[in-house]
Amino acid sequence: MRVGKLWRLTAGFAAFVVVFAGCASEGGGGGGDIATDVGVTSEPCPGSDNQDRGCIYLGVLSDLTEGPFRALAVPLTEGQKAFWERVNSGDGIGGRYDVNITTYTRDNKYNPQEHVAKLREILPNVLALAQSLGTPMTIAGKDLMDENDLVAVPASWWSGWSFEDLVIESGHNYCFEAMNGLDWFAEEYAKPDAIMAVHYPGDYGGDSAAGVAKWAEANDVDFPSGNNVQTLPNAQAGNQDQAVGAILRVRPDVVVLATGPAEAAEIIGKTAAQGFEGRFVGAGPTYNPAVLQSEAAPAINSLYNFTGPWAPWGADTGAHKAMEEAVGDELPANEGFTSGWIWSYPMKALLEKAVADGELTRASLRENIDQITVDYEGALPRRNYSGDADNLAFRESVIGKPDEEAPLGSSLLRDFAVGPTARDHDFTEACQAV
Amino acid sequence: MRGRRALHTSYASDQAPLNTPAKRLWFAALVVGLVLFPAFATNELTALFATAFIAAVGAIGLNVVTGYAGQVSLGHAFFLGVGAYTAAVLGGEPGRPVLGFGLDIWVWLPGAGLAAALIGLVVAPLAARLKGLYLAIVTLGLVFVGEHVFRETRFITGGVGTGRSAARLTFMGERFDRRTALGGLEVTREMKLYFLALVVLLILALLSHNLTRSAIGRAFAAVRDRDIAAEVMGVGLLRHKVIAFGVSSFYAGIAGALLATITGFIEPGTYNLLLSVQYLAMVLIGGVATLSGSLFGAGLVILLPRLVQELPRFVPFITGQSTGGLITTFQLQTLLYGVFIVVFVVLEPRGLFGLWVRVRNYWRAWPFSY
Repeated sequence: MRVGKLWRLTAGFAAFVVVFAGCASEGGGGGGDIATDVGVTSEPCPGSDNQDRGCIYLGVLSDLTEGPFRALAVPLTEGQKAFWERVNSGDGIGGRYDVNITTYTRDNKYNPQEHVAKLREILPNVLALAQSLGTPMTIAGKDLMDENDLVAVPASWWSGWSFEDLVIESGHNYCFEAMNGLDWFAEEYAKPDAIMAVHYPGDYGGDSAAGVAKWAEANDVDFPSGNNVQTLPNAQAGNQDQAVGAILRVRPDVVVLATGPAEAAEIIGKTAAQGFEGRFVGAGPTYNPAVLQSEAAPAINSLYNFTGPWAPWGADTGAHKAMEEAVGDELPANEGFTSGWIWSYPMKALLEKAVADGELTRASLRENIDQITVDYEGALPRRNYSGDADNLAFRESVIGKPDEEAPLGSSLLRDFAVGPTARDHDFTEACQAV
Repeated sequence: MRGRRALHTSYASDQAPLNTPAKRLWFAALVVGLVLFPAFATNELTALFATAFIAAVGAIGLNVVTGYAGQVSLGHAFFLGVGAYTAAVLGGEPGRPVLGFGLDIWVWLPGAGLAAALIGLVVAPLAARLKGLYLAIVTLGLVFVGEHVFRETRFITGGVGTGRSAARLTFMGERFDRRTALGGLEVTREMKLYFLALVVLLILALLSHNLTRSAIGRAFAAVRDRDIAAEVMGVGLLRHKVIAFGVSSFYAGIAGALLATITGFIEPGTYNLLLSVQYLAMVLIGGVATLSGSLFGAGLVILLPRLVQELPRFVPFITGQSTGGLITTFQLQTLLYGVFIVVFVVLEPRGLFGLWVRVRNYWRAWPFSY
């Protein structure tokens, strides 16, 4: 055997060992007068300009490669990064700490098992989660978060978050969103005789479908179980033919979609190609402007609207202006960026409160949730988390439409408003329980 | 005999798994190293190695049926799933929306293996009538049947996209997946899982080592190489194929059950063709028809994502963040995995075991190696 090959082999093996020796864990540290536990160090963040500040490590569990929401989740994470960079270049948290969300960013592939595995991986090193993408994923991780007092910002609008104490959610929820969408449709067009819901399993799609069912009940419209169609991401189902077939069979006036963007585009395109003339109202996560480059674009432009939790890019609020300033000339890929930015405000408020109180620990973050007031810089009304869900929950949605001319592919059709059904709904439990 | 290490004067010493002092020494060193490893490694690495040990159990099972007995099986993921869900039902927390009986590990671990083995025994007669590609397709069909069943039985699996918790680690009524203090030392959940996995691996590896060196193992090799000649010689084809599938499914069931407990949460979509391919990759990359090959292969495939995550520190154009750089670690993980399979199958068919044999032979003959 030639010597060269052997040296390469043993060098490779040695490198293998060295890489593992280099795996060090980041521990907690004291910050002088501020009590800290996990995920906070007195050393500055890696690569930080502020050498006199400590570092708060937050985790991000997002769909970055394989799942149905990766097109939205990657800009979402960029939006969060931009938000915390702006915080760090200003006063940081109470002038004492910068925030780092990149070191513990992991890909959960929109799979609850993968999510829990990655959560276990970053758990010893983070103070809280800056993002936990996916309703079923965050629910799967709930037990572990509860055991460890880990607070999270869910990148999800499940109605059940209003009843959970570990998450700091923002905006409306899928249930109210579906109701608002249908109320808008009834106002804009006509009260539908037949409605359908096409959705993913779990508490994203299920919540939206529950909203449709409650709307039907409140407005005396038929919603038989055949009109409640569950579908799966294309990675698991291959295609949406089953849902398309169901829509063409029932021919409703309006279909409420709670799927991923590619799947929504496929459903709209295929049904329109077969002569379907009803309209589609999609939940926020069903739209990605990239679908306007596909063959379904004409159908999407003419038949589709979406309900949204906040105004799209370019709106006239402090938050949107700050976002535009942060990206400069390089526009983000889609509205996922806006969502990531706006979702981060409650975590900032929570961290600032904890630092002001002198206790930056997981337990104190959890306790402080119902003591903070969040200022969204105009993107949403100020809110807090103390009190019962019926009063606290935000019920307003915007209505958007696909727009090729707009910078990020969508424009506002109707600003924040709450429909009569959502307004009158007695919100005492999650629309779709786990 | 002293000084003549390779000369054995009794069957016992010849057939012992560690029959030379050198083997005994190195094996002892390895075991000591593995036992001490959690004391120096982070929790995350300990859990990763525990996963690698358990995956090695699954890989050994697949090697027995595909490598030794020559029965191509793409259905390994199905047996992993059966093991995981049997364990989850037997050992899962009662009172949840999904079925769980809260039993001890003494019940759910063997139960998982036995349930998978029973199904393997049922499937095995198909192998008697099919070979090669046809058997591969039929076992692939098993994976799809399994996917459908797991998807539909929501009261067991929680349904696609939702999932359920895995079996709880209770031993004699005590939960042993909590942090405890032992003497002055803190023993974490990951350490306990690591030692459990190590013990299970050592026992099952020894059993499979003995199986493959026994008459049954030799019969497997005969069935793999020339099945008609084997039948002519009196090696029962049906009997040995059934044994191979049964043993392989048992190992897969045990592996599936333990793998589920590492994360503690399982989703039915996991047990798909990709998982079967992952185990085939472990067998191919590690070395077909060798025990060490299963260990090496499982180690590489399981540790690869973690190694890739460390790369941004050394290589500038790879980034660990969601975008930026030339390629992200997440994309690189998926890519490298495929590259390894191709490289090993084309360049080193004996796999990592083959590489190891070259290295070992070189140093054995040193300084007279050439």
